[in-house]
Amino acid sequence: MTLVSNVSHSQSHHGLLRRFARYALVVALVAVFAAFSAAAPSFLTVANLQSILVNNFTLLAIVSVAMTFAVAAGGIDLSVGTAIDFSSFTFVSLVLAGQPVPLAALAGIGGGALVGGFNAVLISGIGISPFLATLGTLFIGRSAQQILTNGGNPVYLPPAGIPESFRFLGRGVVAGVPVPLIAAGLVIAVAAIVLTKSRFGRVVTATGIEANVVRYSGIALKAHVAVTYLLVSVIAAIAGLVLTSTVTVYIPSSGNAFLLNAIGATFIGTTLSPHGRPNIAGTVLGVLLLSIVSNGLLLTGLNFYWQQVGTGLLIFVVLAISFANRKAVARA
Amino acid sequence: MSVEAVPFGGSQQGGSEPAQTRGFGASSGTAGRRIATLLLRGGSLAVFVAVLIVFSVTAPYFLSVGNIGNVLGQSAIAGVLAIGLTVVMIAGGGNVVTGGIDLSLAANMGLSAAVYAALSQAGFGDAVAVAGALAMGLAIGIVNALAITLAGIVPLLATLAVMNVVAGLELVLTQNTVIPATGDLLTLLSGSGPFDIPVLAYVLIGFTLVAALVVQATPLGLRLYAVGEFPEAARASGLSVKPFIAGAFLFSGFCGGIAGILSVSYLSGSTTGAGDLLLPVVVTALLGTVFSRRLVPTVIGTLLSALFVSFLVNGFQLLNLSSTLVSGVQGLLILFVVSATTLLRKQETSA
Amino acid sequence: MASPQEDGNIGPMIRLTGIEKSFGGTKALSGVSLTVERGSVHGLVGQNGAGKSTLIKLLAGLLRADAGQIEIDGVVHDHLTPHAVDALGIHFIHQDRLLVPTFTVGESLFLGREPRIAGTPFLDRRKMQRRAAEVLDRYFGLRLPTSTLIAELSTAEKQIVQITRALLHAPKVLVFDEPTAALVRREADMLFRLIRRLRDDRITVIYISHYLGEIEDLCDTVTVLRNGRDVATKPVAETSATEIAGLMVNREIGELYPKRTAALGATLLRVEGLSTPGRYEDVSFALRRGEVLGLTGLLGSGVKDLVRTLFGLEQPASGRVEVDGKTVWTKTPAQAARRRLALVPEDRRRHGVALDLSVAENVTLASLDRFTRFGLLNGGAETAEANQLIDRLQIKTDGSDALVRTLSGGNQQKVAIAKWLSRHSEIYLLDEPTVGVDVGAKVEIYQLIADLAARGAGVIVLSSDLPELLGITDRILVLFRGRIAAALDTSETSVDAVLADVTGSSEALRHVG
Repeated sequence: MTLVSNVSHSQSHHGLLRRFARYALVVALVAVFAAFSAAAPSFLTVANLQSILVNNFTLLAIVSVAMTFAVAAGGIDLSVGTAIDFSSFTFVSLVLAGQPVPLAALAGIGGGALVGGFNAVLISGIGISPFLATLGTLFIGRSAQQILTNGGNPVYLPPAGIPESFRFLGRGVVAGVPVPLIAAGLVIAVAAIVLTKSRFGRVVTATGIEANVVRYSGIALKAHVAVTYLLVSVIAAIAGLVLTSTVTVYIPSSGNAFLLNAIGATFIGTTLSPHGRPNIAGTVLGVLLLSIVSNGLLLTGLNFYWQQVGTGLLIFVVLAISFANRKAVARA
Repeated sequence: MSVEAVPFGGSQQGGSEPAQTRGFGASSGTAGRRIATLLLRGGSLAVFVAVLIVFSVTAPYFLSVGNIGNVLGQSAIAGVLAIGLTVVMIAGGGNVVTGGIDLSLAANMGLSAAVYAALSQAGFGDAVAVAGALAMGLAIGIVNALAITLAGIVPLLATLAVMNVVAGLELVLTQNTVIPATGDLLTLLSGSGPFDIPVLAYVLIGFTLVAALVVQATPLGLRLYAVGEFPEAARASGLSVKPFIAGAFLFSGFCGGIAGILSVSYLSGSTTGAGDLLLPVVVTALLGTVFSRRLVPTVIGTLLSALFVSFLVNGFQLLNLSSTLVSGVQGLLILFVVSATTLLRKQETSA
Repeated sequence: MASPQEDGNIGPMIRLTGIEKSFGGTKALSGVSLTVERGSVHGLVGQNGAGKSTLIKLLAGLLRADAGQIEIDGVVHDHLTPHAVDALGIHFIHQDRLLVPTFTVGESLFLGREPRIAGTPFLDRRKMQRRAAEVLDRYFGLRLPTSTLIAELSTAEKQIVQITRALLHAPKVLVFDEPTAALVRREADMLFRLIRRLRDDRITVIYISHYLGEIEDLCDTVTVLRNGRDVATKPVAETSATEIAGLMVNREIGELYPKRTAALGATLLRVEGLSTPGRYEDVSFALRRGEVLGLTGLLGSGVKDLVRTLFGLEQPASGRVEVDGKTVWTKTPAQAARRRLALVPEDRRRHGVALDLSVAENVTLASLDRFTRFGLLNGGAETAEANQLIDRLQIKTDGSDALVRTLSGGNQQKVAIAKWLSRHSEIYLLDEPTVGVDVGAKVEIYQLIADLAARGAGVIVLSSDLPELLGITDRILVLFRGRIAAALDTSETSVDAVLADVTGSSEALRHVG
């Protein structure tokens, strides 16, 4: 079940390789940042850096934080996109129906939570492996959206009918900081506290490391797993709200676009932890790395399509270093 | 010493009662499991047949040779990919996350198709284009195999990263446009064969048969299953596990290459959006397990599952129903199958 | 197939001399010698930790001896590998059966050496079935449908398949490791008939068992291991179960155990008529404050299931459990823990401690509520608690933030116990608490158990190490085939007496005696 902690680092081992692997992410981040600053004059500008944060970073960061909880619990959630979509759809539909924005937003979160609840029943109740359960959810969610939208038609908010509060959520600025970025910051901060400082976060982490021990320690394992997948969906639903208020449209099944990068960022992030644990700081740095690379590759005038190759290679290299190192440590 | 009479050191009077009941309990548990397995397998076959019957009654054209041939032809690309994935799943074992999964398959098909189309457009002949596409597919398989067996990255993540690179390379090569391609081979593949059935349908059948023979009827196939399901048992039988796993990823890479060629012929060129095929292919391979007596991935099971999905799409089209329901049906099926097998397994361990 | 040995071969089949093996600082074998005659059935007995499994692993090529010599079939082997052992015709029938559950009997038998249809690359399934049927019929008089899946077989049938696999190799030596532990009587009978057949075919058999009755019935010679030494090798005809039992037990480690005087308090736990058909039947007992109750029995005797049931990991079919005079029904470990029950499980590395969590994280895992306010953990209080318990239990670690993985087995076990001390549990279920623990840590764990009892907790120690039970408990319950076979007052019993009840040989002794 566990992806990350089956081979772990030994405390006493302080090899060069290990230290390098530990900071591979930070080194990569600095190197990439420096390289783009040198290669593309327009990279190191306030406007561009802000654009990286708002356009590349925000949404992926929120979704990746959600994914981090699933991975920390030893699982994975392929249906984060579905939760984004459900949240987005509910939100847009209610705003369109003239409901107040806060209510619509709350309902949007509820729509996303529905997805999490379904996953929780499958994973915690029936005992299906998270990968398969959320894969099933992903497919059902896709079909459900097609049905809800008469075969996949986007739901637009007419520019005239957009309430001011809605606009604020997507495009507003508070003290010079865009609202979506504030939202992401809040999600990251709360998630970091929950995962590292709360009782719930401890149980999640312990579950990811050895679920049996959690159960044998007299902790209600199933309930915690259920809440974990619910939480993943709720966080993803927040991303759905931010996404919708930025683009003012709901496009069926568009949330899946974040899935693979979110998984990538989460696992890249595990390299930051001394014991290879999924962690919010690592995930956020991972997202930052992916954001910088895709933005920077664009600016350096390299072919637009090299972006994906670059990101893929980067993920690959970080993973290879991290896993090769774990193998080496396990052998030692 | 009279041995027969006192096997457990002499406590004769029913000392072994509890163990005895346990023995019976276990066997009745397995009998229950056998019945449940039969139901599951029979049930899914019944659903398959029922769907065919419903469609053929409601849409008269459905059961015609032409339509069936078309469905087969349409299943060819996804079918070949799903068979590649099936082999990876066999060698990697039941746990999708730590075991057998190849997320790079669909992207592989896209890139191999792009390579084929690009070579063809650059004026190379069919042979070169075929070689190029297959070599591309194999190369991706090799990268996966090395990342998994040498670097030790779990397959889910390794193939995820490779998928990103491959999809990117495809974009680089095609500039996100359609590269048209023509050639004798493509004309042949996209045409019709005997009985006016698409050549692609014959290709799918032929490929399935060869793969099924190797996987289901040779020692190699048997060992592949052993390696995936119980590596310790395989090792105890003197087999080394890694070459099998590497081989499985090579094969799935090769399948990606073949699927690439098929898709070029089917679409008269390389097109974008190959990645969309990934999840349906994964689901197809997973669903295929219900068609096997042992509830394991099999080549024929995967073919049936691919056909089932294609028939659904086709039937929905003929009935003017939204084919988008298919994804929902697939999702429900997979959850049904997995829940059923999970509950079966639970029953087994508690028995 | 099992062909008789050629006449030219004389001398013993296997001769081990002066074998020594240490793990870390612990000496598992100190100068063991073992000679197994050609075509004989050689019994190997000893308590847990006597060195049987280490010796077998050495012979299997899975471990390498620190000193000593291994001679097989007259040839000295310095670097035995599993592969080489296989080639020499030595095969092992393990307790955990290495068979692929979704394979048919035929496929399992021939995996790795599959017959092919002549001139083709294809499996000859017919030949596989036919040969499988032949061997099964010849040795077992058994018609097992060779197309049956392994998952559908009973435990005994799986074992038969494993033995048959070995027989197809034309083995010279077969090593059986506790073969009857999970078998019912009828199945065991079949196994014994087979072993006699093998002896008739001049195949050498090494037979490891806890059931002394079996050794008496089946073996020609028996070697007793104790504390990593071979204390005796005797022809079975010249010894008795009583004598073997006596040899197995080390009577010189009394000073390991803390001196304690039980001051028994109120009844803490009462179990009445607890039954789960097929596992344990009609089990009743009580545990008082300050008491250390021993629980023992062979594999399959139901002791494990009983302990799992008490901790809510399994549900009983009938019966009642009372804690502090109130009837409780613990459906989950969480409920059990709330009733102040604590389980220190045998499989420490999978159930007891999370190896990749830190010492502090493990210590507070069962008592997180105590360190939580408004959902947030008080890290300082956690560390303080962990440090206090590290001190109290003398856990040797780099610090409370070191991963438990980095600790020795004994210290890991202390962490597993500390987890429940932190929760202030009162009823401790300790399942084989000293397995895989070095002697020093053992003494500390015994002292800890005594301290717990002295503080008014009730402790149930499940152990198959009888001297240990005699050394630390007040009473001992022996389960045999699911029922309480004896409830003994520790001060009035002996290892021999307990062993007789455990192995069910009290009656055999009567027969023999």
